[in-house]
Order: sequence, then C-alpha cells, then structure tokens
Amino acid sequence: MTRLNDENLKKVERALTEAHRLRQEPSLGADWTLRVMRDIRREAAGHGQSMMFPGIDRLVWRTAAVAAVLALVFTGSVLFFTNRDTAELTALLSNEIDVVAPVSE
Amino acid sequence: MPGHVAAGCPSLIGVQTLVSDDLEIIRRVLHGEIDRFAELIARYQQHVAKITNRHVPSDRVAEVAHDVFVRAYTSLSSFSGQTPFEHWLSGIAVRTCYDFWRARRREELPVSTLSTEHQAWMDHVLAAESDDQFREQARRQEAAELLQWALGHLSAENRLVLTLVHLDGYTVREAAGLLGWSVVNVKVRAHRARQMLRTLLLERKRQEDDTTQ
Repeated sequence: MTRLNDENLKKVERALTEAHRLRQEPSLGADWTLRVMRDIRREAAGHGQSMMFPGIDRLVWRTAAVAAVLALVFTGSVLFFTNRDTAELTALLSNEIDVVAPVSE
Repeated sequence: MPGHVAAGCPSLIGVQTLVSDDLEIIRRVLHGEIDRFAELIARYQQHVAKITNRHVPSDRVAEVAHDVFVRAYTSLSSFSGQTPFEHWLSGIAVRTCYDFWRARRREELPVSTLSTEHQAWMDHVLAAESDDQFREQARRQEAAELLQWALGHLSAENRLVLTLVHLDGYTVREAAGLLGWSVVNVKVRAHRARQMLRTLLLERKRQEDDTTQ
C-alpha cells in the first residue's frame, strides 16, 4: 500500500492523462452521414426562410443595435430639452409670484 | 479535389485551398445547395468525432457528432469566414459536448461505482518502475473507468475545462476560445477542477487504504 503524497498524486494524474489520450478512435460509418443529411434537409425545410436570406441574423442584430443607440439619443435629448423647458417654466412662475406677491399683501 | 489532398498533408498552399474551398461550399449551401453540406461533413467528420470522443462516452459519440453538424448547419449564416471553418466547427463541437453533460446532470444519472480492481489500479501505477510498466497500466480499462468515475463527480463546466486543459493539453487561451468563455474564467475553473480531481483521488485512496487495513 502506497500513500498518496504530492509526487504520487502527480504520477496517478499522468497515468489518467495517458489513459485519456489512448482512447480508441471512433468511426461513424456511411449510414451516419446519411442520417445527418436527412436531418439537415428537414431542418432546411423548416428554416427555409432564414436560409434563403443568408446573413439575415446579423442584419437583424445590427439593426437592433442601431435602433437601441437611436432610442438612447432620442431619450437623452428629450430629457435634456424637457429639463430646460421645466427650468424656464419654473423661473417664469417664480417671476410671476414675485410680481403678484406685493399686491396680495 | 485539391482540398482532400491538403487534408492529409497540410502544406500552406493546400491549407489555403482547403479554406477557400470551404468558403465556396458554405456560400453554395447558403444559396440553397443543401446537399453540398455533405462535402463538409465528409471533410470534417473525423475531426468532430475525435473531439466528441474525448468528452462524451464512446457509445454517445455518433449522436453528439450528429448534433454538432446539425447545429453547424443551422448557424452557418453566422460563420464570418475570419477563422478557418475547422476552428469554428471545433468550438461548436466542444459546446455541444458541454450541453450534453448539462442535460445529463438534469437527468441526475448516478455516477459509475468502482470495484476493488479500480482501487488496486492506483497501487499498480505507483509501483510501476519503468515507462513500459507505467504505459501498460495507463492502457488498462481500469484507468479509463477511474477517470470517468472522477469526471462524473464534476460539474459540466469543470469537467469540460479539466478535459480541455489538463487532459487534451490545450492552453487556457485556446480552451477559452473554443468555449466562448473569458480566459480568467477558464483559468480559475481549470485550477479548481484539478484540485477537485486531486481531492477525489485522495479520498478514494484513503477509503481503499482504510478497507485493506
């Protein structure tokens, strides 16, 4: 019986790595290719629309990114101008109050 | 076809021909010549089978490799052509293996158990004095089964990273590229997964020693 010190542990690890590399090469066979192609044709029939327009996915994502940037710019400008209008309105109202205040006294 | 010659003996010109051939086939497939995809399968099925064989049980290799090509076909329009098709396909293969183990974890299948032969195997490895003896032990069925037992205790993420980095010998950067994860994530996981493997082996050995005493 051998205790597992660090060196021994490394030796076991090396043996396991070697075992992993010695795995037998698989062979898939001719029938396998036919089955894959059958599924791919089925897939193509289902998704024929998107395959007819190659690159449509990328176009959609790019459009979405541009739309998001535009929305951000629009929201920012609305907030900016609304705040300026609000500030002007507040100043105007406070001016009104200042003018009206002595009359009410 | 020159590409097939290049696949066996990849000279620089041969590889470039293969890459441009791949791009041409992909372009035609995307324009509706679906049957041309069979050429890509013929060219890369062995490459995909090799990758999947290193990650999933032997009896599931055909099924997972099948999924890899169906996935590759459905996302073919996202292939930019900036990297070789083979590299792009390798990423899909690795991620399909990852999904295989994630689905398997959801099924909560029991991990394999070990017999006394597996337990004795570690002692035989440690007793091996020459390289030949060491290799002979590595070739034994018990070695592969012990490895599968240990990997079966890891999460899908740790299992995949451990296999790629420590068993297959990919660099952290290469593994990160294949998985689509950050380098830091892979580095941390690789370290953690190796520690877990070591703990499992140590516990196993301790249990074995306790029963034999």
